[in-house]
Amino acid sequence: MSGGPAITLKSQPIDGSNSNSGNAAGQQQQSGNNAAAASSSSSQGSGGTVPPAQEGTRQNSLQRIQQRKQKVFNLPEAQKLAKLSMYSACQAEGCRCTGWKTPQENRHRDVESSYCPELSEECRNASCRHPLRSHISHLTEISRTSMDDLLGAIIDMENLFMSMQRVEDEDTKKVYLYLFRLLRQCVLTRQQAVIRGPLGDPPFESPCISKAVLSLVFYKYNHLNPTELQTMTEVAKTFLNFLNHYNFESPSVRRSDATLTHEDASTYKINYTRWLVFCHVPAFCNSLRQFETSLVFGRTLLRTVFQYMSQQLKKKCISERDRFPEDKRSIITQMPKFLEALRAELLKDDSPIWDSSYRPPNSFVMQQRKRHQEVAPPATISSAGAASAPSSSKRSSVGEPAHKRAKKEPVERVPSENLDDLPTDVVLRAMKSVSESKTTNKAEILFPVNVSRDENVKAEEQKRAIEFHVVGNSLTKPVDKQTILWLLGLQLVFAHQLPEMPREYISQLVFDTKHKTLALIKENQPIGGICFRPFPTQGFTEIVFCAVTMAEQVKGYGTHLMNHLKDYSIQRGIKHLLTFADCDAIGYFKKQGFSKDIKLARPVYAGYIKEYDSATLMHCELHPSIVNTQFIAVIRNQSEILKELIAQRHNEVQKVRPGLTCFKEGLPSIPVESIPGLREIGWKPQMRPVRASRPLEESTDPEKLANSFQSVLQSVRQHATAWPFLRPVTAAEVPDYYDHIKYPMDLKTMGERLKKGYYQTRRLFMADMARIFSNCRFYNSPDTEYYRCANSLERYFQTKMRELGLWDK
Amino acid sequence: MPLTAESAAQQIQDRLKDIQQHIHKVDSERRRAESSIASLVRAQQSQTPNPKLKTLLQAKILEATQEEATIRAALAKIHEIRNIRNERRIQARNAGNKEAIRRGALMKMVQLSAQTLPLFVGKPGERAPALCGAIPAESNYVAKVGDNVAALAKGIDEEENWILAEVVQFLHRQNKYDVIDIDEEQKDRHVLSKRKVIPLPLMRANPETDGHALFPKDTVVMALYPQTTCFYKAIVHRLPQTATEEYEVLFEDSSYLNGYAEPLPVAQRYVIAYRPTKKGAGSGSGNLSSA
Repeated sequence: MSGGPAITLKSQPIDGSNSNSGNAAGQQQQSGNNAAAASSSSSQGSGGTVPPAQEGTRQNSLQRIQQRKQKVFNLPEAQKLAKLSMYSACQAEGCRCTGWKTPQENRHRDVESSYCPELSEECRNASCRHPLRSHISHLTEISRTSMDDLLGAIIDMENLFMSMQRVEDEDTKKVYLYLFRLLRQCVLTRQQAVIRGPLGDPPFESPCISKAVLSLVFYKYNHLNPTELQTMTEVAKTFLNFLNHYNFESPSVRRSDATLTHEDASTYKINYTRWLVFCHVPAFCNSLRQFETSLVFGRTLLRTVFQYMSQQLKKKCISERDRFPEDKRSIITQMPKFLEALRAELLKDDSPIWDSSYRPPNSFVMQQRKRHQEVAPPATISSAGAASAPSSSKRSSVGEPAHKRAKKEPVERVPSENLDDLPTDVVLRAMKSVSESKTTNKAEILFPVNVSRDENVKAEEQKRAIEFHVVGNSLTKPVDKQTILWLLGLQLVFAHQLPEMPREYISQLVFDTKHKTLALIKENQPIGGICFRPFPTQGFTEIVFCAVTMAEQVKGYGTHLMNHLKDYSIQRGIKHLLTFADCDAIGYFKKQGFSKDIKLARPVYAGYIKEYDSATLMHCELHPSIVNTQFIAVIRNQSEILKELIAQRHNEVQKVRPGLTCFKEGLPSIPVESIPGLREIGWKPQMRPVRASRPLEESTDPEKLANSFQSVLQSVRQHATAWPFLRPVTAAEVPDYYDHIKYPMDLKTMGERLKKGYYQTRRLFMADMARIFSNCRFYNSPDTEYYRCANSLERYFQTKMRELGLWDK
Repeated sequence: MPLTAESAAQQIQDRLKDIQQHIHKVDSERRRAESSIASLVRAQQSQTPNPKLKTLLQAKILEATQEEATIRAALAKIHEIRNIRNERRIQARNAGNKEAIRRGALMKMVQLSAQTLPLFVGKPGERAPALCGAIPAESNYVAKVGDNVAALAKGIDEEENWILAEVVQFLHRQNKYDVIDIDEEQKDRHVLSKRKVIPLPLMRANPETDGHALFPKDTVVMALYPQTTCFYKAIVHRLPQTATEEYEVLFEDSSYLNGYAEPLPVAQRYVIAYRPTKKGAGSGSGNLSSA
């Protein structure tokens, strides 16, 4: 039911003429006064949608609350102080009274209308009996605004109390009571109300619903034309608005739903409480900080309420159709489609829109924002039914206190932008100057730009000079002539490019119905393709043949083909590509992100994939939120923007430092943070996970040490670049070697020394190893294979030593 | 004089400005020529006396010559830009800063330099000179530093291939070329005798005016296989019809039933006269051309 008990709050009449309200809700005697209003609320709770007659209730009560506050703010100071005194502790020594109570004879009078008690009037509280003066003596100094703040909190508190009387739901009642006490305490101590405790702090989930919905619009509808995209954006905004004004069902109502597990129910209860405390109640009690539901909650909450909520929204769309202006009708018609898409993404476990790292491009976000500013605020369907545009103007006409608006703004910003992130406008500026510098690039006059591997191909694809199609044979369905012709062409391409493969074998697989081929078509001729077989049950795709015709090679087609295959696989939920690559193809597959390191368990593919002798199995794992055909361009852009940002920062700082001398003085390394100027330009040490600190002082146990050295030596020997260093260099092989090298060293000798127990300390061991590399680099020139081996093995050695905690730093 | 990147860019900018001026000039001259022709036609129709017509004609011929000179001046500027770029490239290479260029970009450059090869536009009656289209170089011709040539070089596998190379220098005393493989991945320098080096055309021939400077259909030639840097034996299948078109050639390919691949396009710059090598490959060539 639409927010059953919660609705009591909004229909609650806060009426200045109601004399009882002056007598402090805390005194508990006027709960029955609002019976009429309470009954209207219960009728709301029963219907699925709110009948039009009561649509204004929420707005009305908000308005009434504002009117009452305004009235109180305009009271003479004496009356304000009297009102405050009712919630202020008596300052008389030893008195424990927490609020001045109107004397018996004046109990029917209201400080909010005409009653202005004398400072000498005594508190009705039997244990106090002190005059009003002693309850307000500490308040005379406070500023007018903070007094108004306190009065606002008092009114909120009184409203909360009355709501509490009417609420039937026990959980909700508890929350109201908690908030009431919190406010009471705050007034007493004259502090800002801050909600702390086990509920946690907003935002509760990342990404928030708002961000995810924006991502959804990008993810699903970015290909549409601008008008359609605009419509979908407004649909999304309408949805968010509905959500923000949606009254959630209390957990007790949901409990009757048998399909819920116990766990779901308790999660919902927590979220419901959060919603009450941070979103719903603050809407009416502006002394509490309000958060938008869509900005602080994420997938969990939306999942639990989505079904019912979307039904209501659909119903409302139908019922309000005619009240919508003509040009906004498309929002109504698109809503079911949008809700369906959102539902699908909610249920999918790996949906990118709920991935906290997913982010539509900045340009998209900015466009949306700009549009939002240009276009009139989107049409809204609030859960109470009133369009928000008129209401907001109404609200401000009532004279909403300025501090409330000021408070609200940061609320909206906090969750949407990461604290570590650069401001969007800085990034945009960088993007702009990058694109400008591209057009005025002088270097191009001299040499053609080295464009990325797939850029030309993508341009051709855009012009439709080339096309990509997935084709395959079928025995059950008629196959059109075009497909057969393409398959024939592909078979020829594979046969010419893969002369080792028997032709019959190629034909057999290309025309096999379980195999498909991604074809690259140019001038209606296949000029390349990838023949593959998906194994959906195993979650991988086997790449069988992959070739581009000779005369079209080295143009980037191979890269683009593979990227298309990756995207195609991801769309079908396949996350792994496997292939047996022959030795000529290994280079290509490496470039496409394949590795010989198979991360898939053998039983997943063994017996499924066709195994070939003298070929290497290679594997590529796919990331579902990467669009591979865009990947290179995205990375390039990012790196250019980064360079630009660095250049900008460089311009800002403009300082030349003398340079470090410590290395000349013999220091092997210094901590990064000690480099002068680094911190100044905003460098922060990276937070590293605290490592179990291993004492750098080597183990004193020689046996342990020897074991460590043994394992390092073993790994180093087995490394691919260790071959030049395994044995001593002989004069027979290299006649002049010993003319240059006085202290030869090699891994075999080190092994012998280790056995003899020569390496008593880490230093000795490291010194011998370093000798191997320095000898090599001394004797050989930098462009030799040996030199490279020394460099690579040295790095490996250091890594190994570090792993065992045997390396400084 | 060292040519820095900055000064090269500046020099090119200057020439681009010149070219722009020339283009404007050509435009106004062309308009003038059009009106001149119209007035000539009128004069002819109105039976102007011969001597007057003659002076008129002479004036117009002068104008046309001016227009031609302007166009040629603009073309000369373009030629200068090519030379500056080439010079800069050679200097950069000699200075040792070899830029790592990806194969794809290299192939693009190979393509581009063929497309932008200057077009020979002769004066009336002038025949295409040597190294224009199919016209071979004179026997005593020596290719200049930086020019592209086909070179019969030994690869790592000791097999000889006609590769696309660039002249580093000509060693006069030995009568040998020092060439460098275009493909930097090979990074081989080769010192080759003159007969193992064939200079590539320096100009394109216009099929519409200089058809004689093209290889006739069915000629056996050597052509750069598309997207590679090697020349292979091929047969001319179709001639270019315009100045911007390419030949279509049939490469020898034993994987096809008839022994030849499908026709492939090759630019004029990369189609040269066939030269048999000692190895068996060349021996059968004569028969093929007649086939």
